[in-house]
Amino acid sequence: MTTIHRVSGLVLVAALLLARAASAQDPRLEHHLDSTTLAVVGALMDSARSAGLPVEPLVQRALEGTAKHAEPDRIIAAVRRLAGELGVARAALGRESSPAELDAGASALRAGVRPEDLTLLRQRRTQSLTVALAALTDLVTGGVPPDSAAAAVLALASRARDDQIADFRRAVERDIALGATPAAAAAVRVDATLREVAGAANSSNPSRKP
Amino acid sequence: MFEHDDDALNRMIDRLREPVEMDPRLDTRVMTRVASPGFGARAASAWEWLRRPRAVVISPITGLGLAAAIAVLVWFLPTRAPERGEPLASDVTAVQFVVVAPGAESVSLVGDFNDWDARLTPMCAVRDGRLWTVTIPLAAGRHRYAFLVNGARWLADPSAPRAQDDFGAPSSVVTVGG
Repeated sequence: MTTIHRVSGLVLVAALLLARAASAQDPRLEHHLDSTTLAVVGALMDSARSAGLPVEPLVQRALEGTAKHAEPDRIIAAVRRLAGELGVARAALGRESSPAELDAGASALRAGVRPEDLTLLRQRRTQSLTVALAALTDLVTGGVPPDSAAAAVLALASRARDDQIADFRRAVERDIALGATPAAAAAVRVDATLREVAGAANSSNPSRKP
Repeated sequence: MFEHDDDALNRMIDRLREPVEMDPRLDTRVMTRVASPGFGARAASAWEWLRRPRAVVISPITGLGLAAAIAVLVWFLPTRAPERGEPLASDVTAVQFVVVAPGAESVSLVGDFNDWDARLTPMCAVRDGRLWTVTIPLAAGRHRYAFLVNGARWLADPSAPRAQDDFGAPSSVVTVGG
């Protein structure tokens, strides 16, 4: 093989690699971001992909920023922050977590929930954590202190179904809207939900005396 | 009657017993066909031609042109389908969104379920244009969204939890069980 052949081969491989790297960008972002922002967001996405994190939430956060005409720096900061939160969520929830769970876990962390509470939730609940994490986040966003919200959701985690946890969250929000303090609303409603869960379990098992 | 039939039969038998004249070139034609290569032999020959190593001389400019052509091809080929979290077929739920926007000329539902594209999910006005509504299928998970009024004003959903805001315009979240 001559030198010319080697050079041609190297050029070919380099061109292929460059083209492949460029096309690794999400096509939905190419029409919305300038080249510099696209490169930075693309690098963040590549890092997340390499770490086994879901990339779709990052794409959506960037698209939200462009839809809202945010400055490029703000878009990059939001994507970078979310990538970090997804990483912490994965460390807290475990490698087997679904993309939806990691997305919900990242939101919970952002709201102020501690990573340790995410780990406890994973240990206590065998079903998907998406709804439980979303309820936890929404409670904290609605004013319930993170510790109280985590205690309430953890109390429900092992026995309540997703729809019961969602109903619990709605009841707390309703009570807050009617004037109850957030922490008190969560405490009262978690007791009521636990009684409801226990009642449903007893009615489904008539041989067991209350 | 029977004798007449016997005569005809005998004539046919005699005719069949006459020797048949063979084409003198028949042997040659048959041997030529036998000696010619069949499909299997042609395929083996073609495979041998493909496998035989040979030097390909290519100039640097041709190599660069070839590389550029392949790069362009790779560039325009779709690389992957956008990952979209959960499968849509099994755990999709129809969710209705409603917002009060009196006097609005248009309201769109915009969120991570439609790539934040305001053109994709226009809402319909009901009750004299005060109320705007749309129902869409959503996969299990937590979705961020907002309403865009008249293509310019972002509204959060007052009946849903607020999302943490990164961009100075409000968003809401809806969680679909699963």
